[in-house]
Amino acid sequence: MQTINLASVLPQVFQQSKDLKSEIWKQNVKFERGHLYLVEAESGKGKSTFCSYIVGYRHDYSGTVMFDDRDTKTFKVKDWVEMRQQHISHLFQELRLFPELTAWENVQIKNKLTNFKDDATIRQWFDMLGIGDKLDAKIGRMSFGQQQRVAMIRALVQPFDFLLADEPISHLDDNNSRIMADIMMTEAKAQGAGVIVTSIGKHMDLNYEKTLLL
Amino acid sequence: MNLVWKLLRQHISIPQFVGFFFANLFGMLIVLLGYQFYRDVMPVFTSEDSFMKSDYIIVSKKIGMGYTISGRTNTFTPAEVNDVENQPFASSVGTFTSTEYKVEANMGVNGVNVLNSELFFESIPDHFVDAPKGSWKYTPGEHVVPIILPRAYITMYNFGFAQSRSLPKISDGLVGMINFDIFIHGNGHADRFKGKVIGFSSRLNTILVPQAFMDWSNNYFAPGSHSDPTRLIMQVDNPANEKVTKYIDQKGYEVEDDKLQAEKTTYFLRMIVTMVMVVGLVISILSFYILMLSIYLLVQKNSSKLENLLLIGYSPNNVARPYQLLTIGLNTGVLLIAWGTLYFVRDYYMGVIETLFPDIDSGTMLPAILLGLCLFALVSICNIIAIRHKIVSIWKRKE
Repeated sequence: MQTINLASVLPQVFQQSKDLKSEIWKQNVKFERGHLYLVEAESGKGKSTFCSYIVGYRHDYSGTVMFDDRDTKTFKVKDWVEMRQQHISHLFQELRLFPELTAWENVQIKNKLTNFKDDATIRQWFDMLGIGDKLDAKIGRMSFGQQQRVAMIRALVQPFDFLLADEPISHLDDNNSRIMADIMMTEAKAQGAGVIVTSIGKHMDLNYEKTLLL
Repeated sequence: MNLVWKLLRQHISIPQFVGFFFANLFGMLIVLLGYQFYRDVMPVFTSEDSFMKSDYIIVSKKIGMGYTISGRTNTFTPAEVNDVENQPFASSVGTFTSTEYKVEANMGVNGVNVLNSELFFESIPDHFVDAPKGSWKYTPGEHVVPIILPRAYITMYNFGFAQSRSLPKISDGLVGMINFDIFIHGNGHADRFKGKVIGFSSRLNTILVPQAFMDWSNNYFAPGSHSDPTRLIMQVDNPANEKVTKYIDQKGYEVEDDKLQAEKTTYFLRMIVTMVMVVGLVISILSFYILMLSIYLLVQKNSSKLENLLLIGYSPNNVARPYQLLTIGLNTGVLLIAWGTLYFVRDYYMGVIETLFPDIDSGTMLPAILLGLCLFALVSICNIIAIRHKIVSIWKRKE
């Protein structure tokens, strides 16, 4: 997949608002593979909504979301499954980890599906992010910042054309967010993928090629 | 899959599944047992007599004190026969013809003399006798006569005579071992015939010969004499028909053989088994609901986990599979235990049945096995579809 095209997409909840000023909603926006984007917004402007449209778990909008030249409204269940497994990785703002499982299992539950990374690489990422000693800790017992790092690792154990990181560093200190950005960009470069980061102000210190105001 | 199972087994309620397991087991067992029992017992009532079609009944006049004292006959006059023939329920009526001459016969088994007696033969029109083609015919002048004996004779012989004399027991397959010598004299003739026993009948309490032999021999040994029949054989559309019973009661006749009884017994047996099976089915359906409710509850409790799994790339089939396997596992367990239990129960009641009816075919468990498989497939397919449906509704975020 080379591009994601949003053609005059507007969430139904914004249908009534007259003074909508946005560089994404009701615009034609194109995200290309291999490039780095920042989507900035105040809260309540629909960042997560934007992500959910691209990952395909909400469809309450007008306009069209195109992957290359395919309209995603025509996608069947198996098309979305393939997208989520092979083409688009999503780091959820609310993380969506499984509190009953350990940090290691939370990553493995994804890696077993894709068989994409070996254990050594994953372990190395844990170490780099400073949570190497938390492999066997239950997610429910970890702080939100630690959980964010686990969620990032999980987002990376799959092939992707685009990585969608929804407020990835909201609970991280500068040092850890730099390391995380580093790992993320290295992996994205290796895969030649596009990266879309959203933020409500605090954002990863990266060379964004384009910043869009939601 | 292990990690997925580790996640999805959260909130599984063991008591609910145990409840389902036993409810389903009882339901399944009752249905299978009812059906198997029905199939096993039916032959006792239906295939008892291979020489008479099932919808024939034999009618005679009641013999009471009055008849004996007053000397009134118990024979049917031609008018009475006519009347029976004209009844709408009687599709065919035949009369019993008996011998007008003296018959002496001696019966032996394997060369040992068992019975010497003066007796008589009777015949009914050949189309009422359902014997293998070719075995039930007589050409005048022949010295071999086909014979059907009452089953009571052979029971008497088997349990009384053979037992005490250490003689071989006779079953349907061994009728060839019976020698039946017949001496007839009358009208200045005396002749010797060989009886060829072709089988036994429990519904015809008489020694039956072909109509052709009867007509010829009556004419030959006792020309000119004629007696009215004492019994009628009648083919009816439905022996359990109320009109038949009413007519017979009103005329003061009685149905001689136990056909009506057997028919009624069969009817009641069928009804009882159907009722039992319906109860079993209702239990099964309820247990199916228990299972569906517990699975729905489980899916509901785990809906956020399921949703997360779907969002990180698991397909609805992937996440539905653990629950589908769980239900199929439970259903398989139920089926196997039901079969096992049925095997022992059947073993017990077949022992009883075979003691009472030694001739009965011991049959197989095939009916129960097939019905069990059908129920299993039906329930499992419903489970699989319902679970899949539930997961897809989570996918569509309808929950």
